[in-house]
Order: sequence, then structure tokens, then C-alpha cells
Amino acid sequence: MKTHCIYVCRNLLAFLLSLFLLSAAVFYAARLAPGDPLVSYYGDHAEKMTPAERLQAEERLGLHEPIHIQYLCWLRSAARGDFGISYKYKISVLQVIGERLPNTLLLGGVSLLLIFTLALGLGILCTLQEGRWTDRLLCRAGTVLSCIPEFWLSLILILIFSVWLHWLPSSGAYSAGHGGDPLDRAAHLILPLSIVVSGHLWYDAYIIRSRLLTEIRAEYVLLAKAKGLSRKQILLRHCLRNIAPSCLNRMALSVPHILGGTYIVETVFSYPGIGTLTYESARCQDYNLLMVLSLFSGMLVILCSMLAQICSERLDPRLRPAPEPPADVPAPSEQAAGRLKRRMAVKSPKPLPHRR
Amino acid sequence: MDPRFTLTGIRPAPPPPTPSRQRAARRPVPAAAMLAAIVLGCLFFPPFLPKDPSYLDLYHANTAPNAEFLFGTDAMGRDLFSMVWYGGRISLLTGFLSTAISAAAGILLGTASGLAPRWLDGLLMRLTEIFLSIPGLLPAILLQAALGKASVLSLSTVLGLTGWAEIAKAVRTEVRQLRGSAFVTASRCMGGSPFHILRRHLLPNFLPAILFMLVMRFRSAVASESTMSFLGLGLPLELLSWGSLLSLSERSLLSGAWWAAVIPGVFLAATLLCVTELGSGLQTAGQYGPSGL
Amino acid sequence: MAPLLEIHHLSVSFQTPFGELQAVRDVSLTLHSGEVLAIVGESGCGKSVLCRSIMRLLPGNAVIKGGSILADGVDITQYSRQDMERLRGRLFSMVFQDPLAALNPALPVGAQIAEAVRVRLPRARREAVHARVLELMAQTGIEAPGQRCRLYPHQLSGGMRQRIVLAIALASGPKILFADEPTTSLDVTIQAQLLDLLRGLQRSLLAATVLVSHDLGVVARAADRVAVMYAGKIVEIGTADEIFYDPRHPYTWGLLRALPSRARRGERLYSIPGAPPSPLCPPSGDAFACRNEYALQIDYLQMPPMFPVSETHAAATWLLDERAPKITPPAIPGTSPAGEAPVLPPSPQEPPLLDVRQLSCLYRPHRHLRIQALDGLTFQLHQGEILGLVGESGAGKSTAAQCVMGLCRPSAGQIRFQGIDLRDPRACRQNRRLLQTSRQLIFQDASSSLNGRMSVAELITEPLQIHKIRPSKGSLREEAAFLLEEVGLDVSCLDQYPAELSGGMRQRVAIARALSTKPALLVADEPVASLDVSIQAQILHLFQRLQAAHGFSILFIAHDLSAVRYLCDRTGVLHGGRLVELAPTETLFHTPAHPYTRALLSAIPSPDPRRERARPLQAFDRTPPAPEEILTEIAPGHLVLKRREP
Repeated sequence: MKTHCIYVCRNLLAFLLSLFLLSAAVFYAARLAPGDPLVSYYGDHAEKMTPAERLQAEERLGLHEPIHIQYLCWLRSAARGDFGISYKYKISVLQVIGERLPNTLLLGGVSLLLIFTLALGLGILCTLQEGRWTDRLLCRAGTVLSCIPEFWLSLILILIFSVWLHWLPSSGAYSAGHGGDPLDRAAHLILPLSIVVSGHLWYDAYIIRSRLLTEIRAEYVLLAKAKGLSRKQILLRHCLRNIAPSCLNRMALSVPHILGGTYIVETVFSYPGIGTLTYESARCQDYNLLMVLSLFSGMLVILCSMLAQICSERLDPRLRPAPEPPADVPAPSEQAAGRLKRRMAVKSPKPLPHRR
Repeated sequence: MDPRFTLTGIRPAPPPPTPSRQRAARRPVPAAAMLAAIVLGCLFFPPFLPKDPSYLDLYHANTAPNAEFLFGTDAMGRDLFSMVWYGGRISLLTGFLSTAISAAAGILLGTASGLAPRWLDGLLMRLTEIFLSIPGLLPAILLQAALGKASVLSLSTVLGLTGWAEIAKAVRTEVRQLRGSAFVTASRCMGGSPFHILRRHLLPNFLPAILFMLVMRFRSAVASESTMSFLGLGLPLELLSWGSLLSLSERSLLSGAWWAAVIPGVFLAATLLCVTELGSGLQTAGQYGPSGL
Repeated sequence: MAPLLEIHHLSVSFQTPFGELQAVRDVSLTLHSGEVLAIVGESGCGKSVLCRSIMRLLPGNAVIKGGSILADGVDITQYSRQDMERLRGRLFSMVFQDPLAALNPALPVGAQIAEAVRVRLPRARREAVHARVLELMAQTGIEAPGQRCRLYPHQLSGGMRQRIVLAIALASGPKILFADEPTTSLDVTIQAQLLDLLRGLQRSLLAATVLVSHDLGVVARAADRVAVMYAGKIVEIGTADEIFYDPRHPYTWGLLRALPSRARRGERLYSIPGAPPSPLCPPSGDAFACRNEYALQIDYLQMPPMFPVSETHAAATWLLDERAPKITPPAIPGTSPAGEAPVLPPSPQEPPLLDVRQLSCLYRPHRHLRIQALDGLTFQLHQGEILGLVGESGAGKSTAAQCVMGLCRPSAGQIRFQGIDLRDPRACRQNRRLLQTSRQLIFQDASSSLNGRMSVAELITEPLQIHKIRPSKGSLREEAAFLLEEVGLDVSCLDQYPAELSGGMRQRVAIARALSTKPALLVADEPVASLDVSIQAQILHLFQRLQAAHGFSILFIAHDLSAVRYLCDRTGVLHGGRLVELAPTETLFHTPAHPYTRALLSAIPSPDPRRERARPLQAFDRTPPAPEEILTEIAPGHLVLKRREP
């Protein structure tokens, strides 16, 4: 119990510390970068301002102080839940994000679900069919698909389904005036969704496949076979169970990739989401918006990486301490050395294929 | 007595057969040939091309492929055939430069982490893990947005700096494994200096293992460059690369000029595919023995 | 009575990238109800493949080339995968060599046994299955099964794990149990317990057992019938008594003669020359011919058939043909060589080469775990002496070697090598070169101690290159060639890479590398443990010859008592990190004083079936020695850990 408390506290502390560091880094990087924030607030008007007007404008936006004071100010108001207004949209940052977030969550969430279930299915199928034509065909198709840049695939799909066939809409989250129509939303989702899924699917499926292929070569599979279990029983009850912690770890790490990776698709399909917003805010020096968005992504990244850590550390019984020392005292150093070896083995998994 | 039943004793054994592989390992020959054709074309074609890729022939804008314009022209009337070969130069150069930067950073950090005491190793790897879970292009886009107008060098640096984590992790895993191996211990016993061990034992053993990662890194870098240029965050329009070529194609599509989007994209995708194939040929981890299931 | 299992002319091959690998060649066997059949042979002779091919547990590239396997009169070679799944667990089951690898690490052991129970009783209720699991665990000699069934494999000791594997194998009530090297990965004392358990279970539960082993001692203790395999063929088969007391095949002669436990100290240990043929292209004649002193002309030309010797005994050698010349088989020495006068320790006037005093090593692999790997180890090693350190796994043998080599920092005590205090960093730095050249380490697993990306020549001369020593034979290559010949390898190996060499050859390369700096001390950490009997004898013999020629000292670490007995002048027994007894080798073996030493000696199976069957297992205490016991000299040179007398 006590160790659990310490564990939670330590992780919480690490989380807060990383958030603080991240916010400071983004703040400084954004302010020190070339570019004029006044342009984003006042538009072209900013360039025609007199020096006195400029000064006044800067004072109003709090840009005249030294950076560290600005940062402290930001921290103070952020602690109260006030993240300032967006320079570009001239409304509260949270409001801007609030409008766009559901769109991204819908796209990202559905793709996550699709990717993970399909990857699991494909991984198992390929393992069962290892070396046969199904497996070979899937591997080949997966490799080809993962080689095509997302943006280009989007273009091709738009060309085929929107320009030539006129089946599906090529941009937006819904047609004007049909915001509440689920069918219309679904039609707008199909193309972006298929791009996101095709971009990430093979990576995850490949991981599951290669882990499973390694696992079915373990010796315990022979014993399971010798005791009379069938192929499917061995694969599902033993192998899949054993690779679950490491696969969950990988999947947790890929959540930010999938959610964050939607922004290319969002841009190509002019889908109003967080991704396009981030990109705009970075281009327009919309500091307040950029801060919150970066913190948001940072939080997601750190949370997921912690989740991954927990998956690999807590789910694997090999890494859990023994409930009670067994009475038959095995030679202590042998046991400890073995445990240590396994610990090392789990902590340093084999390098995996690349993610684009 | 039967002469065959005379005691002869030990006669020298026939020499054991030299293990010759009957079936050579799968070598990606077609992929290598195609990649070589593309790379050599990009390197040596441009001086001999009849059309200037930056010449705006507005009269011939959006011309479909024909005898004069082999691949057609884009919305601004530039000759796609010349542009593809010129663009490939920049794309491949960016990929190469950023891979070199990633490799240097990754190998350095990975080796350091692999040889470091446990606490430092833990810290470095935690950092790498977090870096790994950041969606690849996001920091690159932010960094490039902050840096302002991109050049080949700045874009390569940005891409290189965002791609070291996987290499570092792979190198670290290899180094940790090798460090504990008996032959390194043996060399330490013999008095081998850390430098000797690094040069004779570690490097020759982990370099082949990460060669695959480097090739894949090249692929990712080329893809990222084109994506960023496409989004308008990478190389500007006048600096021709496959990405910046494609950044105009969205408009061409709607006007029905499919070739402006399809042809450069096919070149890009084919290059990426060939590089991947080559990489898989180098990979040793993906080869499994016979299954017991 | 009809046999349980009949195998006729079975051939099994593997399709490898290098060609067809003929693992089992034309094997015929019958297995009767109520017997333990042992299959003996060196690694790669096809004994495991034979068992696995019967159960169809071979990897995808294995093909049954011919022959038939009749179970209760039905040929099962033609069975489909589903049919085989139904047969496994019910007709036959298997126990594997490494129980830790064979158990799923992520499932509690109870659940793994329950799974096997459900194979037979798919619809049984949970309570019934659980009760059956506990019953099985009790049958295999696991105490407190109720608690242990919730544990994971890594939380159990090696012996316990193997018992769990046995329980799994027995769960669905098989008629035949294949035990594939079931005791090889265990310590000798546990090994004997498990063998007795296996025999007991065979009597009460099983119809027949097939025991696969490379260890003739294990076979002598447990088997009723023995089949000797060589290069994929059965070369001799008969009852245990016939094989051990009246062997007919020259290979069996060689195996029995090569056992170090049968050699007298100081005498040359017999070793079978050469190495087994490659299974990729086995010779057309008798595969053993080119290692056989008694080979006939015909052996090189034609494969010998099985010649019956008696009703139960047959051997495949042309020597049994009536036309063959009558030869007298070589005398196979008895199991207990006559004791010699104990070799007295060298005169104490000369300072010892290695002086270890009160050495302790505390090892903390984890924050909450402290392991006293060594506790007050004291011994001296003199110039030209071979000192053996024996003990079970976890006794601290390897830690001692690492401390001597400076790979592990002791927490207390003193080590002096040639008068240099190894715990004094300054002295070490000053004498760095001397220390690094005059101490050399030889590892258990030669393949991992040789960098796979260096050629043999580079490997052997690496120490010379590191220390920039000028090779005495001119060039580095000539030096490497000289050293290769010294360890009995051909010069043609110089440009080969370790992966192209066999296990014994790799160990020879490792020895050559150690010799390159002309060391005064060789620390050999289990150098023969991973080698086959015939190769083991060759390497032990090599050590003996080189020591006699060069006069260096050897600290020989082993768990195999017979190897120590053959090679070492003095022997120390380690237990729980402490030295429990140290004496001249013959004294130790004849008059062991400490109860642990006695238990250890009694547990070694000897290749003598009659003696083995009669010998009861000595119960023994695994608790480490109490701290108040101290090392006392009971005879000159004979030290024993004893309670201080009041």
C-alpha cells in the first residue's frame, strides 16, 4: 500500500514538473522567435502604427515587460484558470479550443478504436497464417501503404472519390446547415478517417505480428502443445496474454501519434480541428493559444508515456514482487540474478521498425 | 577371409562440407535498381534537361502530358518533367543531411546512455521515451514556424533534431546488451581500454543492427520534408523539392490537372518504397526461424 | 503383450537453407508397457528430435521422410493436426530440459496445471479442477500446494519448477511420458531427488517412460532399457545391465571410457578422437568409423545392420559379423578408482601465487535485496597447482572467480596475487600490465566469450595487440598459428569465424587466447559444463597437458565433481558462499568430513546400474552453514567447516 502511494506521488510530481518545464520552454521559444505578435492581433494595421501606438498596444497585451515577468504573469492567471484571449480570434482561448476539440476527438477517437481493433485482428491473422500467401500479401500491402505519404494519399483519394466519382465531400466536418445530421458527418469523416487509419494501422499490426511471431517460438509453447492444447488456444490464451503488456505499452505511446497525427489530414481536408489550430497559432504568433495547445499536447504525451510505463511495469507479473517468499528458499543469488536478467530484458525491448 | 573385414582403424574423416547457402537470402535487387535509377537520374539529369524548371510558361499552364511536356505542366506552366528531377535533388539531399544529423546525435546519446551508470541511463531513456511519444512532425512544424523561412539546411536540422530518439534507443539497447556480453568482459580482463572495446567489440556489433534504422530514418526524413513543404511550412515554392512541387497540386486537382498531383507523388512514393525494401533486406531482427506452433 | 509404441525405420529431416539436415536416420524401436527406456547420446545425435517427432512437436521445417509410428497398432504419422492435438496429453506428454523456459512466465503455475487438467475434463467444475491440481502437485512432491499454486514460475526454485512441469505433463493421464533431459539444468542433489520421483511415478501412474539424457549416470539410475544414439541412428540397444556391463559397439565403449569419473588421477583420460559428422551429409558407411580405432574396411563402405547379441540386446557394428576379426574390447575401468596416496600440498615456504583471505562479497542487485555471495572465503593457490572449487548453483563459485579476476569488488577480505594486493587500487594501477597478462579467464560458454565478428587469428592475438607485446614467433599470425597447434587445432582455422566452429573448437580457441600472454594463473569458470562427454574429456585432457607443459596454476571452477576429481590437485567445496571443506582431491573423495560434502558426493550418479539402484538417496540439509562454524584443520591440508569445540 505504502509503495503504491509513493509510486503515485512520484509520478504525479514528475508529471507536474514536466508540465512546468514544458510551459516555460514553449513560452520562451515562442517569445524569442522572430515574428511580430502585434500583427496577429491587429492585422496589417500593426505595420502602420506609430512607435507610441505600438508601445501602448504592447502594454495592453502585456508584451512590454521582460520575458520572465511575462511568464510569471501568465502562470499566475493560468493557475486561476484564465489562459487569456486568442490574438487571432479575439475571444477566450478555451472557447476557441472548445469549439474545435470535439471534431478532433471524434476523428482521433474513432481512428484509435479502428486502428487498435484492426491491428489486433491483422496481427493474429498474420501469425496464424505465417509464411502463407495471406500473410505475405498482407505484409506487402501494409508495407506499400505505410510508404505512401499521408498527404499524397489524401490527394489521390480526393481525386478519385470527390473529383471523379463525386461520392464523398472533399473538405470540412459537415456541409453548411447540416451540422446536426449524423449521416452527413459520417460522410465527411470517411476520407479523413481512412487516411489516418491507413497511416498508422500497419505500424501497430506489424508490432503485434512480430511480437507474436517471437512469442510462438518460446519454449513454453511446446509444453502447452505437449499437454494437448490446440493452436488457437495456445495463441490466444498464452501468447497474446504474454505480449499484452508490451503491446499496450506501444499502443499507449502511439496514442499521441494518432491524435496528433490527424493534423495533416485536418489541413488537407480543411477539417476544423485542433491540428489546424495549432498550426495556425504557430504561424501567427498567437501566443496564448499556442501555449494552451502545446500544454495540451504535452499533457497528452506525458500522460500516455506514463500510461505506457505503467502498462509495462504493472501488468507483467514477472516484474511484480513475490506475494510471500516461497518456503523452499531457492538459491538466493540464482533467483535474484534471474529476476534481474528478466527485468533488464523487459526494460530494453528490441528496436522496432520505424514510424514516420 | 573377406578383405572387407580387415581392421583398418581410424582414417581421416572426410572434410566437413563448407556450409553453402542453397537459397540466397532475399535480396531486394529490383528495389535497389529502381532506387539507383531515381538517385542517379536526380544527380545527373538536370544539366541535360531541355526545359528550365523555374520558367513560367503561362501559355502552356495545365497542359496534359504530351511529346513536348513529357509529364505535362503545372498551374503555373512549369515543366513537370524537369521539376521532378530537380526536385528530387533537394528532397534526397534534405533526407541525407537530416539522417546524418539524427545518426550522429542518436549514436552519441545512445552510446553514452548505454555506457552510463544506471541512474543517468534511466534519465536519458525517460527523456527519449517522452520524445518518442511526441508525434513526429509536430515539434518540427513548431520549430520551423519559430525559425521562420526555411532553407535546406534549416529544414534538415529541424528534421534531424526531431528524429534522433529512435536511433538513440536502439543503440542504447544494443550497447547495454553487448556491454554485458562475455566477450566484452573477456576483453576487459585482458586489459582492453574502453576505446579499444568500443572500436573492436561494440561498434562492429551494433552498426549492422542500426543500419536498418538509419535507412528507415532516411525514408522518414524524405517523407517529412515533402509533407512539411506540402503544408507550406517547409521549403518555399521556388526551392524545388517533391514536397513543394506537390503543394500546388491541390489546386490543380480541382481544375482537373491530375498529373500535377499524381506524377511527382508517384516518384516520391516509389522512392520511399524502394528505400523501405532495401532497409528490410538489411534487417536481421525480422527473420524468424521455423515456427513451432 | 503388444508394445505401446512401435517405431519402424523412422527418418526425420529438417529443411534448412544449407540443405537437408538428416536428424534421425532409419530408427526402429519398440516401447513396452512398464519400462523406462533411456535414449543416450551426445548433443545433435537426434535423441530429442526422435521424441519430438513422435509427438509431432517439431518446427515447421521438419519432415518425416519415411517410416511409421504405431501407437496401439495405429500408424500416427498420417494423422492430421487436429488428430494429433487429441492424442497429445492423453496418449503421451513431455517434460522439457529447462523448466523456466517451458512454463509460461505470465501465468500462475496452478492455472497452467489446471489448463492441462481441462484438456481431459473440458466440462469439469472449477472446484473439481482445483482439487485435481492440488492432487497433482502433491503427487509430484510439492509441499503446501495450496499456496504454491498461486505463484509464478520465477518465484519457484529450479527443482520446484521441474516438478510443476511434471505435474502438467501428468495432468491428463498420459500413458507415455517423454522426459527430455529432465534433470540437466538442475543441481546434482535435486537431480537425484527428481529421478527417484520419476521412477516412483512411473510405477504408479504411467505405462512407460522415455528418458532422454546425455548423462550416463542418470541413465544408470533410472533406466530399464538403454538405446545409444549416434549421428541420428541407434547404434546399440539393450537392457541397462547389458549396455553398461557388456557393451558391444565401439562408440559405447568410448563413451564409457571417456567418463572422467572412471579415470584414475594422473592417468591419461581416454577421449574419443575427432568430432561427430555433420548431419547435412552423413557418411555412407558407419558414421562412427572415422573416430573408431576398431573400424573395419567395410565400415567405411557400408552401413552396418543391427546384429542381435541376445534377445534384448542388439548393436549396429560390423564387428559382430561372423566374418569380422575377433577383437578384445578395451578394458573399461571400474567406477571407483583405487585411492592413491594423497598428494601433499606444496611446501609452505614458497609464497602462494594467489592468497585469498576472509573474502566476502555482498551483492545488491536490487534496493531491497542483499545477497551474501561470498562469506569469508580463504584459500591459497600455489605455483603450478590446480585447485578446484565445486558447489551447486548459487554457492558463490563464479563470484570467487570474478573477484580473483577483478571483475567484482569484494566487500571485505584480502586477495593477493603474486604479492600484489588486489584490493588496493594504487597497487593495481602500478602493476596493471602484469595483472592483466598473468591472469586469464576462461568462460563456460566459449561462443559468447568470442566476438563473432573477429576471425580466430584476430581473437587469439587480441591480448597481444592490447598490450603491444611483440610476438615471439615473428608475426602475430605466426604466433596465432603456433598457439592453435598448441591447443590441438588445425592452422586452417585461422581465418574462420567462431560461428563456423564447433563448441569444443571454440573452447580451444578461448584457451589459446588465454595462453597467448603466457599467464601464471588461469581461472577457468565451468569450462567444460556446456560440452559433450567425449569433447569434455578432450578439453580436460588438454588442460592437463598444457598445465604440465607450461606450469601455470589453474583455478578450476565446476559443478561436475568427476571432472574436478580427474584434474585437480586440491578441491574446495563451496556452499552458500562459504568454503565448507578444502582438501587434497583424493582425501576429499575418500574421507569427506563435512555432511554437505558427503551429501554432494552421494548424489553424483555413477554409470553403474547395479550400484545406482541399490544406493539410497542421502537426505540432506540445504540450509547454508551457520555463522558460528569455523574452518578447522583436521588433518594436514584438510580443512573442514566445524563448530568450534568448547
